[in-house]
Amino acid sequence: MDNNVEQGPEKTPTAVRTGTASAAAVTAEAISGTRNAGATPVNTLANANSTFWKNSGRRVPGRPSPKRDLPPGFAATGHRQAIGSGMVSTFRDYQQSVSDAWDTGDDEFCIISSTEAAAAAAAAGAGVDGTRISRQMSQTAALNVIETHSRSNQNHNTPRANDCGSADQTSSSRSTPEENREERRRSLPDSNDNSHNYPGRPQLQKISSNSQDGEYETKIEKFQVLLDSPQLDLVALKKLSWSGVPRRMRAVSWRLLSKYLPPSSERRMAVLESKRQGYQDLRHNYFRVDSQDETQQDTYRQIHIDVPRMNPQIPLFQQQLVQEMFERVLFIWAIRHPASGYVQGINDLVTPFFIVFSAGGPDAQHRSREVRHVHTGGGDAQHHRGGFLLVSIQVSRLVYRTTISLPSWAYRRRSINSRIFIQRIDVNLHRHLQTHGVDYLQFSFRWMNNLLTRELPLHCTIRLWDTYLAESDGFALFHLYVCAAFLLHWKEQLMQQNDFQGLMLLLQNLPTHNWSDRQINVLLAEAFRLKFTYADAPKHLETKS
Amino acid sequence: MSSRRSRSGPTLNFKAVLLGEGCVGKTSLVLRYMEDKFNPQHLSTLQASFVTKKVTLPDERRAQLNIWDTAGQERFHALGPIYYRGSDGALLVYDITDQDSFQKVKSWVRELKQMRGTEISLIIVGNKTDLEEQRAIGYEDARQYAQTVGAQYLEASAKENEGVAEIFELLTQLMLERLSQRERDAEPPNLLRLDASDAVSVSEGEEGNGEDTGTGQRSCCGI
Repeated sequence: MDNNVEQGPEKTPTAVRTGTASAAAVTAEAISGTRNAGATPVNTLANANSTFWKNSGRRVPGRPSPKRDLPPGFAATGHRQAIGSGMVSTFRDYQQSVSDAWDTGDDEFCIISSTEAAAAAAAAGAGVDGTRISRQMSQTAALNVIETHSRSNQNHNTPRANDCGSADQTSSSRSTPEENREERRRSLPDSNDNSHNYPGRPQLQKISSNSQDGEYETKIEKFQVLLDSPQLDLVALKKLSWSGVPRRMRAVSWRLLSKYLPPSSERRMAVLESKRQGYQDLRHNYFRVDSQDETQQDTYRQIHIDVPRMNPQIPLFQQQLVQEMFERVLFIWAIRHPASGYVQGINDLVTPFFIVFSAGGPDAQHRSREVRHVHTGGGDAQHHRGGFLLVSIQVSRLVYRTTISLPSWAYRRRSINSRIFIQRIDVNLHRHLQTHGVDYLQFSFRWMNNLLTRELPLHCTIRLWDTYLAESDGFALFHLYVCAAFLLHWKEQLMQQNDFQGLMLLLQNLPTHNWSDRQINVLLAEAFRLKFTYADAPKHLETKS
Repeated sequence: MSSRRSRSGPTLNFKAVLLGEGCVGKTSLVLRYMEDKFNPQHLSTLQASFVTKKVTLPDERRAQLNIWDTAGQERFHALGPIYYRGSDGALLVYDITDQDSFQKVKSWVRELKQMRGTEISLIIVGNKTDLEEQRAIGYEDARQYAQTVGAQYLEASAKENEGVAEIFELLTQLMLERLSQRERDAEPPNLLRLDASDAVSVSEGEEGNGEDTGTGQRSCCGI
């Protein structure tokens, strides 16, 4: 925690030194602009003469802010420019901007895909051979994983399979915070700053901040001990994970926390194999759109138009094979869960899992080859599908586990709950919202349905999931407390808004773009306090009118 | 819904809602109108997004458009009422290359007619005219249908920025007319006679008075 506190104020001087001061200042202005947008219309003067219809310059929720907010020099700072023009233009740009976001186990994938053109050319030259080699390689990798696992059972001190290639990572995370910041700033040109272009949307940022590594340094050892034991102590893991999982422990920990993998480390590989097989069966049984069944057709159609629209700022999600995988997973999930079916937004829930699992895990080596392969664009489609099976099965399983507790129209009840709840814990804020005609359903539906995914930057969502997965009695109710705490967090700003428009615009564009794990920790602590206060008083959720 | 217009204030408040099937371009139309931008790849809307825009009417009055841009998926259909309830106008958007999306417009028309009757101004919008060669719904067919249900019909391309501003201008105009109409109906007969010549001048006069009184009071206090 101390680390974090120190880092905050330090950031600015560092920026000043490297001459990004003007950028930072302008961004600060832009941010405050967003905050005040509800109260004072910005930019109204400029267009008064040029157009008949005045342009208020307000932001559309979830849309890139107007270009005029950008000072001319700002566009040259790489990442932002790319986003402004609609997409990150090349994978190289993207890679540079998030190069610290991937585990070093993925370095190979990064390097190779950055020489994408060369690799593609080579693949084209090698033709069928390229594919064969890659398959062989992945099999070898899988064997390695199994071997290392069995060895680690005999000797707990042996580095575990999922740590392969993590030596660099450890050393980098042990480097001084100053160095880390330098590094981060170099590789992430103002990524924190430009993210306000996407209010109310999942935001691509670093998956976890470097400061977090320092903070969790001591935790890594504790995790290591827990994860290495032949019989996992799930309760202890939950306790440890509640306050955040170190980045490279995440993939394994999430699998264990969600009971996707068994506590006994001996059985893990076997279980993994059987689940993989199970998913393959599912695919054969379900992934066929029944031309007779209109519901299925509708579902498929909806998924098909939604998937390409996922995370438009992350090039990985634009890969056709990744999209196909998502289509499959979502479709199978929808067919298997007719009670809720596919609801727009469920696809967003998959994103953090996909990012975490594709950034590391027992199969990191194996999978990174596959992803690289996708990037090079070579090889036969069948093979890729095999490579993504693992990710998809986990994703589908987890989405299943997490959203099963959200039957479709329980949402309405939930938001009624949150209304009554807020009324209980902060009557002033409740009255304020009530007076200005804000219906809780108008904003909390998205919070509930989407588990705040669109309200928070991606790395914050991932941190949130650490706790959700560690919540012992499921997080469905806990999420309600988190939402309440989230709403209360903005109380001061909300109370300053004096009309429906101001309130609604703020609620739809809550300025969380600068949030880091620290804010999430505070939010969770507050939610926990609420839970602790009200948990034994279930009556507070009952309608009383 | 206190977002309803406050007739006494100097700024008129109009509430409008965009409805239509998923991926027909509802958000793109709003984005084009609000910020003059187009992004071929953007996120699907969840539930609904709220945006506002201040406009100046031809008679120099100011109005604020409060627009709910709703999610298209059928699953969210049940949430429709919380957005169109209390709306002064609705844009029913479809994709001219997609027959299904036109059917969806028809079902929204039925629902709105049933729930709101004539209290809401309807504009049917055929979007994506840049894909003319893939057109599945003829212009005349759509226009005739709109006529039969008492709605206006416009076509636009958010991508090419054709006809987008016109949609919102027409919508504002329709909502304004409806407001004037309602005010005329609500006013006592003697007042109506004074200004019966022009509906717009009635509300204009009213607004002017409202503003004058406001400033007058303020200067009083100042002195």
